[in-house]
Amino acid sequence: MKHPAAGATSPTGRNKMNAATAPVNDSHEAMRPAGTTRQDRPGPRKKAGRRHGVPTWWAIPGVAAVLALIYLPTAMGGFYAFTDWKGIGGWNWVGLDNFRSVLQDRELLGSLKNTMFLAIGFLVLTNVFGLLMALALNRTLKTRYLLRTLVFMPVVLAPIAVSYVWSFIFAFNGPLNQALGGMGLDSWQKDWLADPTLAKFCVLTVMVWQNIGFVMVIYLAGLAAVPVELEEAAALDGAGRWNRLRHIILPSIKPSLAIATTLMLIQGLRVFDQIMALTGGGPAGATQTLATEIYQQTIVFGKYGFGAALALLLSVMILVLTSLQQLATRDRSSVGA
Amino acid sequence: MKRTTWRRLGAFAVLPLLGTSLAACGSDGSGGSDSNSITFAYQIANPNAKSVFATLAEEYEKTHKGVTIKTNPIALNTYGSTLTTQLNAGNGPDVFFVNAGTGQAGSVGTLGQAGKLLDLTGKVDASVVPSSSKSLLYFNDKLVAVPPYLAPTGVIFSPRAAGKSGFKLDSTSTMDDVISQCKKVADGGQAVFGLAGAMAPNTGIFTSAIAASTVYGPDPDWNAKKAAGKTSFATSAGWRAALETMKDLQDAGCFQEGAAGAGFDALTNGMGQGKMLGFSAPAGGAKDIMDSTKGAVTLTIQAMPAPAGYKTYLMAGTPDAVAGNAATKNKKLAEDFISWMTQPAQTQKAADASGEIAVGPVDTSKLLPQYEPVAPLLKDNQVAPYPYLDWPNGEVYNALGTGVTGLLTGQMSVDEVLASLDKAWG
Repeated sequence: MKHPAAGATSPTGRNKMNAATAPVNDSHEAMRPAGTTRQDRPGPRKKAGRRHGVPTWWAIPGVAAVLALIYLPTAMGGFYAFTDWKGIGGWNWVGLDNFRSVLQDRELLGSLKNTMFLAIGFLVLTNVFGLLMALALNRTLKTRYLLRTLVFMPVVLAPIAVSYVWSFIFAFNGPLNQALGGMGLDSWQKDWLADPTLAKFCVLTVMVWQNIGFVMVIYLAGLAAVPVELEEAAALDGAGRWNRLRHIILPSIKPSLAIATTLMLIQGLRVFDQIMALTGGGPAGATQTLATEIYQQTIVFGKYGFGAALALLLSVMILVLTSLQQLATRDRSSVGA
Repeated sequence: MKRTTWRRLGAFAVLPLLGTSLAACGSDGSGGSDSNSITFAYQIANPNAKSVFATLAEEYEKTHKGVTIKTNPIALNTYGSTLTTQLNAGNGPDVFFVNAGTGQAGSVGTLGQAGKLLDLTGKVDASVVPSSSKSLLYFNDKLVAVPPYLAPTGVIFSPRAAGKSGFKLDSTSTMDDVISQCKKVADGGQAVFGLAGAMAPNTGIFTSAIAASTVYGPDPDWNAKKAAGKTSFATSAGWRAALETMKDLQDAGCFQEGAAGAGFDALTNGMGQGKMLGFSAPAGGAKDIMDSTKGAVTLTIQAMPAPAGYKTYLMAGTPDAVAGNAATKNKKLAEDFISWMTQPAQTQKAADASGEIAVGPVDTSKLLPQYEPVAPLLKDNQVAPYPYLDWPNGEVYNALGTGVTGLLTGQMSVDEVLASLDKAWG
């Protein structure tokens, strides 16, 4: 299909599509005077070791603090993954035994599957509903500011508190079953948190419900950068709603998409509060995830070495999946520009 | 403001922080350095209820002028990790609560292995340790912890709520008697037993209370036999009977609706509203409930009735203990405080304050009124130990709790639960 905005040019000579994405993707480039490049930019050459007039060594205390407070403890935690440390006393080097145990344990593999199910479900649903909300509340509606506040409100609440409220809603004698009974839908009444399949969906529902507002805000920020005239031009060219969304809006908000999907993937992979408050990992381990397993193995059973191995696996998983996700959603429009 | 001014302000702001950090690094290692002051840490489940350990510390201060016991109550769910972290870092309390046995994190076995427990042999009256608890409180033949009270676990029962549906339960009742009444009680809008099925500790303790009659009453050394490889969960008729009883109770409608997915709040709400007649928990919980309602509710302690073919035993033992820090800088005071706790006057005070029973030979005339239904069992020593205290790790008890939930939801069969227990044992 011919691009609806093809042929429309910006004052700088770029077509409008690139102009819409330029401020987000390459802000330094956009700030340059038209027709200039980095090589022929006027002005004195930067002094070595300085950036914006601030000496580089000023970063050393900050970097040292980050290394000492974040990366060093992480590395130490990683070390314990190869030991049988019980949280107190001495330890023995066990090599890869902890990792072998993880991969041979059916319950732990179930936790891994649950983690993936919740992470992917959370990633997809929050982004779909968040984008729909952002599109619905972007312009036009007079009450959009009020509605945005209402949708965003759950985000500011503590996940553990929200989950306890939802556990009351899902309880067998709770409001959900009472409402179903009140509507004559007695056969729909379930023991929501005691059913191994339904319990997973209950957890996912609570996670998604609380985070739609957050994703909506990210997409609203992206949508604010999409010029109205670009959409209008496309509409005049005969592009329908779907085509405008597909070929103008989505490419324009790709950076927002990258941010929202990355954050939701990470959040989904490390889900903990909702599970602890809603199901405690039950029934019979049906909603255990890697994060709740780490807590159980480490804090409840005192198997710090084994817990560290699980934590290391979860960290690597997050790193790999977010890297893949970054590759998939990175903006290639500036490549070769 | 000029940049140089900001720099100076920044430097001044950093100094106090640095000072605080250095002070923290150099703070005294374990407890109070003052010879008349020690620290005492213990776990609390209910921050609004006064702990028996706080009562004992106050009492000691009153009777030992000039001595200060700095108490440190720590929430139940973080107690184990907090204590081990503090002991590891060398700033642990001088005296602290500890789980007896080896079955849980932060228990006598784990801390004893790490050399963190003060040797109390010859320093305290060892006769306070019941013979059935010796393996739980000694490490390498050294006494390292003492029990503050004897803690029975059965059914915390509401006679008033039972009266509404005409439910009968006494020391002669069998589980079949109970099951035969469940439908009638359920039809009246009540449940015989409340169960927090989503909480492994609750399903675990309920089943353990049944196993007191089916396994540990008839064979108190079952755990030793299991450890020696002479028996297993899978081949144990008693354990099978205990698990099948849980299923029978569910099938007969003895638990509240939605029990498999219920949390502890379901128990408090159900008991508070009179919709449940009883639930399984350590007996001290009855006093907490009665105190919190200011006497409006009267509860009794019942033994968990035995299934058909078994004699009823009351599960009782010393799951809670007090130990000293091997690295304490005030060894004499720590030893004296622990020794003082084991004296008869204090053990009776501890029992009264906690709603438990004084350690030592049971004097039924001194029991709290709620123990009246189990007094005959205590008098006849028809008592079985807690199963899980000397299990090799906490995973076995967790497998029991989650396995029973799986049984109730249909996720697992009795055979699968028994196999999971053997696997968790290792």
